[in-house]
Amino acid sequence: MPIIVMERLPLPNLRTYTCASVLALSACIYYATYIVKDPDWNTSKSDLEIAPPNSEGEFVNNNTNNTSADERTFSQFTGDAFSVMTKEPVCVWIMINMAYCWLILLGRCVQKFVFGQLRVSEQQHLEEKFWNFVFYKFIFVFGVINVQYLEEVLLWCSWFSLLGFLHLLSQLGKDRFEYLSFSPTTPAWSHAKLLGLLGCIFAFSLFMFLVSIFVGFFQGLNTFAFMSAEVILLGIRTLHVIVRYALHLYDICRESNTSLNRDTATALEKRGPVIYYIELGFEIAALVVDFVHHVHMLLWSNIFLSMASLVICMQLRYLFHEIQRRCKKHRNYLWVLNHMEQNYPMASAEEIAENSDNCAICWEKMETARKLPCTHLFHTMCLQSWLEQDKSCPTCRLTLNIENPSDNRPEPSEIQHNPTQPTRQPLNHFFHFDGSRYVSWLPSFSVEVSQLPRLSRAAASNSQLDAMARQVQQLFPHYTIPIIIEDLRVTRSVELTIENILDGRLNSPPVFRESDDPSSSTSNVPLSLLQNNEQPSHSSNSQQNWDEITVENVESEDAVAIGSRFSKSPTEREQILYKRKERLIQTARKRYVEKQKKISET
Amino acid sequence: MAGSALRRLMAEYKQLTLNPPEGIIAGPINEENFFEWEALITGPEGTCFEGGVFPAKLIFPPDYPLSPPKMQFTCEMFHPNIYADGRVCISILHAPGDDPMGYESSAERWSPVQSVEKILLSVVSMLAEPNDESGANVDAAKMWRENRDEFNKIAERIVRRTLGIPT
Repeated sequence: MPIIVMERLPLPNLRTYTCASVLALSACIYYATYIVKDPDWNTSKSDLEIAPPNSEGEFVNNNTNNTSADERTFSQFTGDAFSVMTKEPVCVWIMINMAYCWLILLGRCVQKFVFGQLRVSEQQHLEEKFWNFVFYKFIFVFGVINVQYLEEVLLWCSWFSLLGFLHLLSQLGKDRFEYLSFSPTTPAWSHAKLLGLLGCIFAFSLFMFLVSIFVGFFQGLNTFAFMSAEVILLGIRTLHVIVRYALHLYDICRESNTSLNRDTATALEKRGPVIYYIELGFEIAALVVDFVHHVHMLLWSNIFLSMASLVICMQLRYLFHEIQRRCKKHRNYLWVLNHMEQNYPMASAEEIAENSDNCAICWEKMETARKLPCTHLFHTMCLQSWLEQDKSCPTCRLTLNIENPSDNRPEPSEIQHNPTQPTRQPLNHFFHFDGSRYVSWLPSFSVEVSQLPRLSRAAASNSQLDAMARQVQQLFPHYTIPIIIEDLRVTRSVELTIENILDGRLNSPPVFRESDDPSSSTSNVPLSLLQNNEQPSHSSNSQQNWDEITVENVESEDAVAIGSRFSKSPTEREQILYKRKERLIQTARKRYVEKQKKISET
Repeated sequence: MAGSALRRLMAEYKQLTLNPPEGIIAGPINEENFFEWEALITGPEGTCFEGGVFPAKLIFPPDYPLSPPKMQFTCEMFHPNIYADGRVCISILHAPGDDPMGYESSAERWSPVQSVEKILLSVVSMLAEPNDESGANVDAAKMWRENRDEFNKIAERIVRRTLGIPT
């Protein structure tokens, strides 16, 4: 797989790369100025061919021209130097390299400023997206439009580089937003930074759309369609994140000044479908644009039996399935909604007052509710989202008679997968390029592009990784699963990880399996709860002296401080939780030791 | 989506803090990520796991409570219903759709009215009474059936380890 190869390449770090680029550029500039400094630079080249046969008078004229050229202004001078640089191929490459260097530096700055340290899953998404993008654009440029001239390649490359850069930032923004929405306490400042970045990306995508219109005006509709498709996708995705973000922030604000009366509650109920349709609109729009773009590419390339069209067809199939899946899900949604409205009446105010409980699904107060045949009450929205995936009452498990007569009900397994894993099917694109079919000396190769299952928050429990890790652990039982998984994340292959272990590249964990070394036994206990205990000395005989094991007395006054209260401040909550855990372990320890003492006495 | 999940988790955390069940503590490892909790469970009295304090990690999906969380012990465990890597296999943690063992009725599965507290209490009762029909750990299930003394010895060792007492 290409991904692994690239990861194993010894890429220089950013600093050396930047230094090298800057050095190369300065050498290039020095070269240009050196040439331009010679007042004859412009003539020396062109005149060599023309001047000799000319008359003497004209030669003198040339000379006077040159002397006046010495008084060129600075801007003229730099202009000349620049034109020299654009003519020299090496300089051109160096300048292109410098442009990429700038882009990378810019990306790094944005990352430092907005995101700080990237999380593992974010890095993985980024890499995945990057290689996918590079791969598909490579196919596009060389397989679909089949560019012939270097200038064209450069133009397309720069266009897609910029777009890819924005795509990556947008992806990063989305990941980070999803992560931030997991936390109740995020400073407003980081929200502002992230939203600002997303806004910038959106503005850029608008600007690039204008550029593509401008270019398309001269180059024709096809070029416009090709250029704008990715831009539109970028715009849609970014706007989607922004809208979701805005709704999320709105939710948070609403929560902070909680004054839920009946009006706001009904407004909330109404808001549910609106949000749903916004989501649906964005998702479908992105899929359709992508689909149309691929169809366009397929028709345009006009060669149906090529590697490129194969890749495009694969992608088309995937997109088609996605659209189909989304439609199915939507039909299910409509069906459930309809069914609910027909069969489950809204509960009256008295009924709600009678069942003064909160909604069992979201644990929040019910101002309006729907009643199931088994008289259980739930919020409309909560009930709706549950019924989409299961047809029974959440409380009493009464099977509800929801049978979709139009037989479009997706199979239960599918419904099950929808909410949690939108695009989890591992997609393997495999294709083979047989170069000898075209030119005898061309090599043949096979490429497999696999969209690796996303290792996001659910990463810890990713079954594939787990299975691989267990495979490795069977060979090396003294390595813990988390350490193996950590390495597997990088290598993505059992063999490579085993190699790493054999070469000693993996940190050996503290050994505690089956060993009877007492000092290691504490490594099981999480946190560092046991640090303050004196480590009991090793007693080799099976009859232990229980008096040796000292147990800290659990301070009773601490209990009051910890008490049963739920602090408003997150840090205090964390501290209290930590103390409670500590106390639980200490108490258990003490009790255990006392019990053993009693047993050994008798 | 995550908003309502967050509110519900906050409510559960509050309830578990103010009204903790005996011998059980649970809460987010770090409040920056409310979807990853650590729980400490005390082994039930009168069983071979008596006295041990077992740490476990709970990972919640973004659409909680519509989907169940995942639970994994972070200490060494030897139990018929716990995989070798610590993942817990009880019916309450299975979404209504999937049935890895192929015998559970949907009534025992996850539903949004379940909660962290109920999960942890079920785990406590699972520790007390293993279900040796569902073989998450076949070795443990076999030993539990056929060689209870040996099983108790291993459990004893695990309990000591969790308490930091030499075996």
